[in-house]
Amino acid sequence: MVTVMELYQLLPRTNCKKCGESTCMAFAVALLGRKKNVAACTPLLEVNFKPQKEKLESLLLPSAGAEETGLIVHPELCTGCGNCVVACPVDVANDPHGAGMGCAPTNDKVIFKVVDGKVIASNIKECRRFGKSRVLCYACIDPCPTGAIEFV
Amino acid sequence: MSMDIGKFLKSPEYEIKITTYRDIFQAEAMERDRFGEEYKMFSAAISISKIDMQKMGLKTKDRVRISNSHGSIIVEAKEAKKDEPGGLAFMVNSPWSNSLVSGDTQGKGIPEFKNINAKISLSKEEITTLETLIDTFTRKSITV
Amino acid sequence: MVTCTGCALLCDDIEAIVENNRIKETRNACRRGAARMKGCVNRLVPSIDQQPTDIESSIRKTVDIIKNARSIMLFGWNNSTCEAQAKGIRLAKKLNAVIDDTSSFCQGLLIERILQKKLRTCSLDDIRNKADVLVYWGSDAQDSQPRHLSRFSYFPRGESRQRGYEEDRKAIAIDVRESNTAKICKGHFYRIPLKGDREFILALIEALSGKVPVYDTKKMLELAGILKKAEFGAIFVGIGLTYSIKEDFDILIALAEKLPNFNIMPMVGHYNMRGFNEALFKETGFVNRVKFEKEAIHDDKYSIMESLIEKNIDAIMIVGSDPLASLPRPILKDLASIPVVCIDPCISMTSKIATVTIPCAVTGVESGGTAIRMDGKLIRLSKIITSGYMPDEEIMDRLLEAIS
Repeated sequence: MVTVMELYQLLPRTNCKKCGESTCMAFAVALLGRKKNVAACTPLLEVNFKPQKEKLESLLLPSAGAEETGLIVHPELCTGCGNCVVACPVDVANDPHGAGMGCAPTNDKVIFKVVDGKVIASNIKECRRFGKSRVLCYACIDPCPTGAIEFV
Repeated sequence: MSMDIGKFLKSPEYEIKITTYRDIFQAEAMERDRFGEEYKMFSAAISISKIDMQKMGLKTKDRVRISNSHGSIIVEAKEAKKDEPGGLAFMVNSPWSNSLVSGDTQGKGIPEFKNINAKISLSKEEITTLETLIDTFTRKSITV
Repeated sequence: MVTCTGCALLCDDIEAIVENNRIKETRNACRRGAARMKGCVNRLVPSIDQQPTDIESSIRKTVDIIKNARSIMLFGWNNSTCEAQAKGIRLAKKLNAVIDDTSSFCQGLLIERILQKKLRTCSLDDIRNKADVLVYWGSDAQDSQPRHLSRFSYFPRGESRQRGYEEDRKAIAIDVRESNTAKICKGHFYRIPLKGDREFILALIEALSGKVPVYDTKKMLELAGILKKAEFGAIFVGIGLTYSIKEDFDILIALAEKLPNFNIMPMVGHYNMRGFNEALFKETGFVNRVKFEKEAIHDDKYSIMESLIEKNIDAIMIVGSDPLASLPRPILKDLASIPVVCIDPCISMTSKIATVTIPCAVTGVESGGTAIRMDGKLIRLSKIITSGYMPDEEIMDRLLEAIS
C-alpha cells in the first residue's frame, strides 16, 4: 500500500499552494484520500517533473477500481480461503451464526463473499473504514495469506 | 566465420537441495487441465532464495537444467518471494519434481518426495513438457 | 447447499448455480474447489490400447484383465465414494487381489495410528468450539485445505471461543519454509531444517519435561510454554511432518503423551482418503497395503511402490488416481510395463499409457454418495447435474457381477 510519504517525495515540495492546499504534504494526504487529482498540481505538468508525475499516477492507479473506502480485492491473488469473510467484524456482527462461525454467509448483509473461488466485497458502506466514525481497520488484510486485499 | 564460444562452454553446475510443497494455484490449474500451459507454468519451476540465486549467477526467468541419477528436467528459475535463508530450493509437487525422486524406499514404500539432491545449471533448452515426461514410459519405447 | 470434493474438508456449505445442466457459478468454495466443481476440460473417453472404443468394450476388456491376472493390484480409491470403496474392497477379496491406496505414500502412517487409537484425536467441530492453541506442523493448510483456518480452526467464533482469534486463539506453524499458513501464524513460526522434525520433537519433549533442551533453547522453551498453557490444543499433522519422521513415526506418539490437552488431526488431501482407510481397517485391521488370500495379509511389500519395484503384481486397476504423475520417475517404467486399467473422469498421465480406460462421473457433481472428512465425520455428497457418465460405484457393480 502506498504511503503519504511516498507520494510527498514525488511532489515539487515548494508549498506553492496552486493546488488549493496549504502545503505539499497536505496535497499528498488529499491525493491518498482521493480528494484531489494529480493534475491539480500544475507545477508537475512541467517537463522536468514528467517522471515524478508518471510515478505518482502509477502509484495511484489501483484506485481506479477501488470502492469508496479504498478497498481493492485483487482477484488474481485471492485463494478463496474465506479468512476475510470470517474475520471481518462487520460480517461477524451481521451474520454471527453464519460467517461469524466460519460457515457460509446466511444473509446479504455481509461485506465479503466468495464467488467462483475468489472473494468479492459488497455492502461497502458497512465497512468500518466508511462514514463519520470511521476507524483504520485491518481485520480483512491481516488474515489474507496472499495480500489479495488492500486499501488505497 | 565467428564461433559462438558460449555454445561450447558448459554452464557451471551447482549442488542443490530441493523440497516440494503444494500450491493452490497449481492445484486449480490441475483440476482444469493436467496438460494445460498453466499447470506447466506452476509445476515446471523452481524457486530459489535470493542469496542462492546470486551465488549461482541466476536470475528470475532463467531456464535451468536440474538433474540427478533419477532424472533430468528443464524448468524455470525464479527468486523466492519470501525471505528465505538459502540452502534449500522449492518446487511444487508435480511430475516434474517426481522426475528427480529416488524409487528406493528401503522397502518401506514411501519415497523421499520432499528431500531431493540434484545438480543445477543454466540451460538454453526448452522447458520439459509433460508429454516428454510420458513419452519416456510409453509402451512403444519399452517394447523397442 | 452442496458438498465440495476439492479436499478432505468436504465443505458442505457450497452453493452451486446451475444453468443448462452445467455449474455456472459456485459460492463459498475456494479457488481449487470452484475449479474442481466446474470440471476439467479433457474428459476421458473409453479406450483399449489407446484406441477409442465404447464403454461396454472397455468394461469387457477390464474383466478379461482382472480375471486373467495372476496377481492384480487395485489401486487409487481416494477420489471415490465410500460406497464405491466398499465395493472395490469386495472386488479385491473376490479376486484375491492386492489393494492399496494413495495413503500408502501419503498420510497412511498417521491415519493408521489414529484408527488404532494410539493418538488422541477430535472432530473439527470440537476445534472450532474449544481449541485455543493450533499447531500447523509440516502442513500448509492455506494451500492444501484452504478453508481449514476460516471454517474450523483459527478465525471462527466457537462456543467457548467467542472473542475472535486475536484474543482467543494462538496459531503456530512449524515448517521448513514460510508457507502461506506460516504467514498467518505471525510471530509463531518455527523454521526447521529439512528432515529436522525428529530433532525438534525430541527437544520439545525435553522442554515439556522441564529439562533444558539443546536445540534453539529460547524458542523451544517459549513454544513449550505456550503448549503447556493450552486448554484445548490441536496439532495439524501435514505430509511434511509425516514424511520427515517416517522412519521413526512413533516419536509423534511420545510427543502426544507429553501433551495431554492436545488432539492430533491428520491433514488429509484427497477428499476420501480417510474413507478408504477406515473401510479397509474395519475389514482387515489395516489401512492399506493388503493382499487378500484366505485372510487379509498386510505387508509393506504390498505397497504400490514395493509391488512395482519387486514386480510382484502383473496387472493394475487404478481408480481415481494418477500414479504416473505422483510416483517417482524410476518406477514408472515398471508401472507402464504391465496391463493398466484406468478409471477416471478426466484424462491423466496414467490414462495416456493405460491399456484400458473407463471414464466415470465426477463424484460430488455428477453422482452422489458419502465420504469421510479428515476428522472422521461422514459427509453426504451431492449430485448436482446429470451426465451420461457411470459413477465408479456402478462400474464396481459391473465388475463384481462379471466375475461372480
